[in-house]
Amino acid sequence: MTDLLAASGPDVSAQLLGSGLIGLREGLEAGIVVMILIAFLVKSDRRDALKWVWLGVGGAIAVTVGVFLAILYSAYSVSGLAAEAVAGVASLLAVVIVTSMVLWMHRAAAGLSGDLKAGMSKALETGALAIVMLSFLAVGREGVETGLFMAGYAEATTAWPLVGLLIGVGGAAAITWGMYAGAVRINLSKFFTYTGVFLIVVAAGILSYGIGALQTVGWLPGLGQHAFDISTWINWNSWYGETVQGIFNITPTPTVLQLVGWLAYLSIVLTLFLRPAPAPGSPATSANRTMERSTT
Amino acid sequence: MTPRSAAAVLAAVLIGAGASGCAAKESATDSAAGAGTEVSVNATDTGCALSVAEATVGPVTFAVTNNGTKVTELYVYGPGGGVVDEVENISPGLKRDLKVELAEPGTYSVACKPGMVGDGIRADFTVKG
Repeated sequence: MTDLLAASGPDVSAQLLGSGLIGLREGLEAGIVVMILIAFLVKSDRRDALKWVWLGVGGAIAVTVGVFLAILYSAYSVSGLAAEAVAGVASLLAVVIVTSMVLWMHRAAAGLSGDLKAGMSKALETGALAIVMLSFLAVGREGVETGLFMAGYAEATTAWPLVGLLIGVGGAAAITWGMYAGAVRINLSKFFTYTGVFLIVVAAGILSYGIGALQTVGWLPGLGQHAFDISTWINWNSWYGETVQGIFNITPTPTVLQLVGWLAYLSIVLTLFLRPAPAPGSPATSANRTMERSTT
Repeated sequence: MTPRSAAAVLAAVLIGAGASGCAAKESATDSAAGAGTEVSVNATDTGCALSVAEATVGPVTFAVTNNGTKVTELYVYGPGGGVVDEVENISPGLKRDLKVELAEPGTYSVACKPGMVGDGIRADFTVKG
């Protein structure tokens, strides 16, 4: 049986695995930021704002499905390079929103004299728009690309690649859920710091991804200049290699510009996020001031 | 601006950006009727074999079949080194078409990238005026 199948190209296991890895990576790329956003909202008792997340996610899925159907049924297709341009611009926009959100929360928490939960809640109150846009961009940044390659699955001669893809997406969902379950168990006093740092590391990867995409398109220079090549260090095409790539949006062969952007973003934003909270805008009680000093 | 309308505007912007890169699909049935050169690409884990290595200026369709075990992608680089177009995430067993307009004569480079990393396995592709 395997001989028969192997005779016509890659065997079933290769078809399942290859597509499974795509599903895993793409699923994580889309899901991680949304997962952190949901954990933020739940942890700050703002479950009511979850509707904004689902609005953004729903919009992104609608765009992806729309692109897929348009490619499949219209006389036109989208070029891979155009999809790359969309993914690059959307990634950079997502980074801008993540960054301003994280730093806004940092300031808001400080403004309320160290009451992190109230600070987060206040930050999110004015941030419905940011939540919708971030959810939309985080999931949809690769929507055009996804719609494009899904058309390839629709035209496939066997269903194995599609089955593999769905298994991979399921795996990504399981990993994302596991990370969420772990995150919400973190002690509240540490939660926003830990998840904030994690979000910044993820955002650095998304920035690097966006730079790489725009270099491919030719809008940024330096496509051929690689900083290093660690593609042989680990098997990047294994499930764990794809998981690392999917969560952190990194590549084993970054260009110089990608690496510089990643490092610069990490060092600048982490420094801003982890520096002692700025002086509160409103007069704090002396007790709170003493507490803040003791923590700096 | 409400979140809903903002999302709609964003969607419109992204779709617009995508649409600017729209290209008419070549329908599978008339590919033999002289709508440019059709090059079939046999992509494996270690190879990137083109059925034809040259074409005349105009539309060229690269029909990539991934016969390897790794996910691959196909890039077409222009004579200047820039990316003309690309197709990503070609899973083992899948076939994808990449239609490009090679408007200038010169030596292009076609790269299969098994594992989707690095510079890939390159082959020259000559376009004559």
